Amino acid sequence: MRRKGQQRFAHDNDEIEVSMTPMIDVVFQLLIYFLVTFSTADVLAHLDISRPSPDAVQSKQTPPADMIRVAVLKDGFAINGRSVSGEQLDSLMGRLASVSTKQTVLVNCDDASLHGRLIKVLDMCASHELTQIAVMSGK
Amino acid sequence: MTPMIDVVFQMIIFFVCTAQLEREQFSEWINLPDSPNAPEMAQEKDPRTITIEVDEKGKITIGRTPLSISKLRKVLTKTVADYGVYGPSIPIQIRGDAMSHHSNVRKVMDVCTESGLYKIAFIAVKDSVE
Repeated sequence: MRRKGQQRFAHDNDEIEVSMTPMIDVVFQLLIYFLVTFSTADVLAHLDISRPSPDAVQSKQTPPADMIRVAVLKDGFAINGRSVSGEQLDSLMGRLASVSTKQTVLVNCDDASLHGRLIKVLDMCASHELTQIAVMSGK
Repeated sequence: MTPMIDVVFQMIIFFVCTAQLEREQFSEWINLPDSPNAPEMAQEKDPRTITIEVDEKGKITIGRTPLSISKLRKVLTKTVADYGVYGPSIPIQIRGDAMSHHSNVRKVMDVCTESGLYKIAFIAVKDSVE
């Protein structure tokens, strides 16, 4: 195997030789493994809310009239006491947000409604840049 | 050459394993709701953050450990007490399944407020790469 040019190192018996073929095999196996198991992570978002304290004193307070009161019902939404559909809620909220985005949104969520629907409302608030959100729960 | 390849492989395996650990602290069975307009999660989150998961059936878990409501209350109250003045400002992240009833999520929020924690946020999927 030894070429002529390497004759002068003939005394060097322990020759370093890396057999590439098995290594490439292993590396390819690893590559395939990673390609198969690779999954892209979702981009996550956070929706910050505030929660009224559970004290009995505070829960008796009636919400001030200048708040945007949104109710998430089991099948539908309501804004300031008027029941509306999802699209109507979005447009109404957009109109209210155009006045001021500093307003507090009081979201009252029905126990039986799904969590995804509450997030839908919170997402609407986020899209209209309403950041003062309080979530209440009720029957 | 051979020892170097050995070391490099060991390093690859080490990094692969540690990268997996980060992801595995959350349950993969929770279908997070979509929220395309919400602000994106910050890269650097508060190291004190407690992530509570609520699955479709209402099971509450922290770091893959299932907890009952009373146990959760005990854990949170103790954590808040341990941090002293900085206790109530511990951020809470709730990973609630989109199909879970609000009552399940509400229980978790109630326990948080009872323990004095007020920084509550819901986690949702902003953008998923399919």
